Amino acid sequence: MRESHLKILQYITAIGIFFLVGLHLIISHLSSGEPTDWTSVAQRATSTGWLAAYILILIFGIYHGLHGVRGLILELSLPNRAVKVLNWSIVLIGIAVFGYAVYIPIQAF
Amino acid sequence: MEKLTFKVQRYDPDKDKKPYTQVFTIPFKHGMTVLDGLIYIKENVDNTLSFRSSCRMGICGSCGMLINNLPMLACHTPIEELKKDTITVRSLPNFPIVRDLVADLSLLFEKHKSVKPYIIAPDMAEAEKPTAEFLQSQLQLEEFVQFAYCVKCGLCMAACPTVATDKHFLGPQPLAQACRYSADRRDGGAKERFQQADTPHGIWLCHLAGACSEACPKGVDPALAIQLLKRAIISDDLRLRKKPVPPSVAQPQAEKKPKVAVPEFTIKRPGAKS
Repeated sequence: MRESHLKILQYITAIGIFFLVGLHLIISHLSSGEPTDWTSVAQRATSTGWLAAYILILIFGIYHGLHGVRGLILELSLPNRAVKVLNWSIVLIGIAVFGYAVYIPIQAF
Repeated sequence: MEKLTFKVQRYDPDKDKKPYTQVFTIPFKHGMTVLDGLIYIKENVDNTLSFRSSCRMGICGSCGMLINNLPMLACHTPIEELKKDTITVRSLPNFPIVRDLVADLSLLFEKHKSVKPYIIAPDMAEAEKPTAEFLQSQLQLEEFVQFAYCVKCGLCMAACPTVATDKHFLGPQPLAQACRYSADRRDGGAKERFQQADTPHGIWLCHLAGACSEACPKGVDPALAIQLLKRAIISDDLRLRKKPVPPSVAQPQAEKKPKVAVPEFTIKRPGAKS
């Protein structure tokens, strides 16, 4: 995959995080009611819309964060082989984190 | 200010393990540049001092040095503007040292060559056997002319924080030149340059610190060029980039306007027929 494609995804996920986290903050923390109350949490956990939103935030956050970390590590003058190792490590870490983190909302659903 | 103290970096790779500083005291003259001071030292105090210079007017880009911790052209830096009577001169950072103040710029030139800094003609037949000059309007020229002022002095590369940490990073000078040639209407090689810039050590590592633009003695603004190149690459990926219009060919000069008659000599030579 070309670097510019990765960068375009970085921009898209940034916009996605902005809107989804904004939505989460407005609905869960600024609206009336008690968002951390057990019934509210249970209600959100069974909602398909919330499940989709949480999974999207997770995907966007993991991609955006790990791509940023990759950018930082790339500045260490890595040779081409090390860049390949880095790319695969980042992909595997991303999949592992996603698999672990997505388990909780899916199980609650 | 009657006397100046020059703290000059000295380094001979055959003798010294690491660079050290030598102090010279020289007389000050009104209008003197840092290069004038170095030339004075070489001619009158220590003729073993090595530095690179040529045009003495900020055109050749040879005398790039770190002057009072800022990358500058020595010939383009009047001592009075520094407002100090102690001047520290070192070789450009981010480049290996050849000797004393002479930096090895070969890496810059290699990276510069890698972005194909020349017009890649879209029509090879016309390029090899041109029928006339290519037309270029003033507006088309203004799209890139600022970036064409680069003198390849290497100051932007010395100032760049990313070049300092990643020696594989292309750097501001080559990326600005990739933008300059890709923006030229006579060029058809933008895609090749985009591929060269769009690598893990390419354009996306630029943090837009802007140090390159501050250091540039010719006002090239490489940071702006890099941003424009980023936009061009992204637009090209998303197929939003306008297909460059091939340059139109001007009418041959002779057909366009009649030849102007050569004026007569204003001074009559003795013996010439009137």
